[in-house]
Amino acid sequence: MGVEVMIYIYGAICFSMIIFNIVYGILMRRSEPRMNKKIKRLQKKIDVQFENIRAGKPVDSKHLNYLEHKCKHVNYLIAFNEILNGMIEKENVVYSQYLYQIRSVILYLAVSYQKKENMQAGYFSYFLIKYAKKTQLPIDSIQDILLKYVEKDNFYCRVNALDALYAYGNTDNVVEALKIQDDQKVFVHEKILTEGLLSFSGSHDELIAHLWKDFNQFSVHTQLAICNYIRFYSGKYKKEMLEILQDERQDKELRLSAIRYFGKYTDDSALKILLAFAKDKDPAHWEYANVAVSSLARYSGQEVVDTLKDALHSSNWYVRYSAAISLEAHHVDFSDLIDIVAGNDRYAREMLMYRLETAQLQKARG
Amino acid sequence: MTDFFKMIFDYIGIFFILYLIGYSSFLFLSVTVGSSTLYQVKRRNKLKNELHQDYYVPVSIVVPAYNEEVTIEASIRSLLALEYKLYEIIIVDDGSSDNTSAVLQNAFHMQKVSRPIQRRIACQQEEAIYETYEFKVPITLIRKKNGGKADALNMGINASKYPYFICMDADSVLQYDSLEKIVRPVLEEGNVVAVGGAVRPCNGTEIQDGHVISYHMPSKILPCMQVLEYDRSFLASRILFDKFNGSIIISGAFGLFKKSVVIAAGGYDSSTMGEDMELVVKLHVFCREHNMDYRIRYATDAICWTQAPESLRDLCKQRRRWHIGLFQSMTRHRRMLMNPKYGLVGCISYLYFLIYELLSPYIEIFGIFTIALAFAVDLINVPFMILFFLIYVLYSSILSLTAFFARIHTIDLKLTPMDVIKAVGLCALELSCLRFILAWVRATALFGYKKKKNAWGKIERKQIKFR
Repeated sequence: MGVEVMIYIYGAICFSMIIFNIVYGILMRRSEPRMNKKIKRLQKKIDVQFENIRAGKPVDSKHLNYLEHKCKHVNYLIAFNEILNGMIEKENVVYSQYLYQIRSVILYLAVSYQKKENMQAGYFSYFLIKYAKKTQLPIDSIQDILLKYVEKDNFYCRVNALDALYAYGNTDNVVEALKIQDDQKVFVHEKILTEGLLSFSGSHDELIAHLWKDFNQFSVHTQLAICNYIRFYSGKYKKEMLEILQDERQDKELRLSAIRYFGKYTDDSALKILLAFAKDKDPAHWEYANVAVSSLARYSGQEVVDTLKDALHSSNWYVRYSAAISLEAHHVDFSDLIDIVAGNDRYAREMLMYRLETAQLQKARG
Repeated sequence: MTDFFKMIFDYIGIFFILYLIGYSSFLFLSVTVGSSTLYQVKRRNKLKNELHQDYYVPVSIVVPAYNEEVTIEASIRSLLALEYKLYEIIIVDDGSSDNTSAVLQNAFHMQKVSRPIQRRIACQQEEAIYETYEFKVPITLIRKKNGGKADALNMGINASKYPYFICMDADSVLQYDSLEKIVRPVLEEGNVVAVGGAVRPCNGTEIQDGHVISYHMPSKILPCMQVLEYDRSFLASRILFDKFNGSIIISGAFGLFKKSVVIAAGGYDSSTMGEDMELVVKLHVFCREHNMDYRIRYATDAICWTQAPESLRDLCKQRRRWHIGLFQSMTRHRRMLMNPKYGLVGCISYLYFLIYELLSPYIEIFGIFTIALAFAVDLINVPFMILFFLIYVLYSSILSLTAFFARIHTIDLKLTPMDVIKAVGLCALELSCLRFILAWVRATALFGYKKKKNAWGKIERKQIKFR
């Protein structure tokens, strides 16, 4: 009897699966024409408002109400985005005017989507990323709402909201948002944070200064993203990076990032430490040695060349490889390397020869 | 005597009822969860819940090759067409007896170099190394002594420069956005050590620069049935296992791994035939024994197109190989079974693979013998048996089609009415005939398998329609 009941239950599930497949198939076939209809209908209304703007009139309040009412539904917001996307290149002045005049709608929608499920909130943030600059919304009015989006425990919603804040280009908001995302509820990869910060549309110097002021309030994970970001934009933080470099209690990745910083911005005080890292033969410290050897490519002097030649004898493959590349950057004369080429260390010799070969292949490519 | 048979059949009946309840419940759950996940992913993408900027995690693609002169050039060209910036391609020619290396050298103007290789995992000696920098990304060809696929992969890992590597088959084609999609879980979660890609049969599909330009059900019956089987058995179940970090298989045709963890775990095991499954199980064991916080993910939208065998002989060869690999991995890591130390991987994944993958062919064949015996002693209700079989075929067909259509709907592929007719007609044939043929093949796979250790499982290849 129990088995029969199970067969019936599974039969019911199968039946519902068939119905689902059929209904979904039909809906899918209809979805495109329905979206096109929405776009056409919306386009007509927007065209009228464009005419008004061209004639020097403001956007009709009825139109604003209409947008508020319709774009609360995500499919209409998608249609609206499609239309705006298509017009972005055509009529820049009228288009910007239109976006400026519908600011109240955007604000209304920001509040409305904040209460919706995460995916829809994520889409609204994406919408904002695209039109942030054009709408010129007073920053204060939308910042609190976007920060609430960052608070949501959904990866994409957070990333999209962060991107929208970067697009608005307000330093305080971005720092605040970074602090919120640091709550450990959702992991955001440091690459995403760094790339996001690089897309910031405001003053990078100002943002870096603010981030550095609050540096110790961030987790190591976010600190690493900030350090990497600073490396791309500013050579003014040598003193601060030197402190990280010298502090053995600091996280390994942070110190490695600091070494990379001095690979980009040379500094006499850092050179000593870089040389010490490069000379360190402890296999447990190979990552420091490797990054330091790479960074030494930008430093000149006989001690640097000698250290790099010595690093060619390292027991670690990566250190040897980086040393060969850095020596190449120093344009060391072949006669200076004869002791390695003719020496007993096969590993050092092989690495040097390999690097010479690949350099030739790369040159041949141009 | 009849009473004795009756008693025996009663016990067998109870066993099969429990077995089928377990199997059907799993199948229903996996197809339901799998399909709903696919629809959810589609909605997520529609609502732009995705990464909009280029976040490039550097990746080394390792392509082990053995006698692949027919397909290798097209495969490497497809890799060069990938929409990704930071990667390198490493082809390891495992001592091919054909012109695999020569084809590559000529096609990509490769030059011999004296590259030193860091041996962090044991593998056979290299014979020659070639490199080229003429293309979008560096390409390296390593020709080494024959040592099997696992050994070739280990060589590729040793030679790779980046922190993540991808293993793939030389006869497969990656979709243009597959690298971006397979890397995404690494950016979404900080503890990902491996990501499995979705492997799909490309028979009947035309691919241009990694884009599908026409999709049809294959013209031959056998690959057609495999398309349905892939969706029901592989796609759906892997999505379900992914929900609780329980995936113990990442197909050798397309998977991404964190190099440092793979090296720490000892790399691929060249003494097994199913090196792909063996590595994933080994990673579970390694991470759990070292109390590491880890995730093994499955990326449903990272797509790799591969050739499904078109002849029954090749299909049997492939399945025999898979079954031996399964047997080797499961016996090697038998301590995982129901061991709380290994969490849900030991209690659900291992148990499922043991009962419904490793032992299922024996159980199914035993079931058929029991039916024959019961028929001989007149202890079977034939009309009920036929009805029960038809219910099984009907329900399983519906599940196959649900998984199939979920995949088709969610990647916006358009099928012709002929394709739909083929799918509907052949799923019943696959469940009522092919399944039992393959059960027999798998049941007999273990006879004399030790002789075939380290051999490359080759099936007849055609040039992929890649333009």
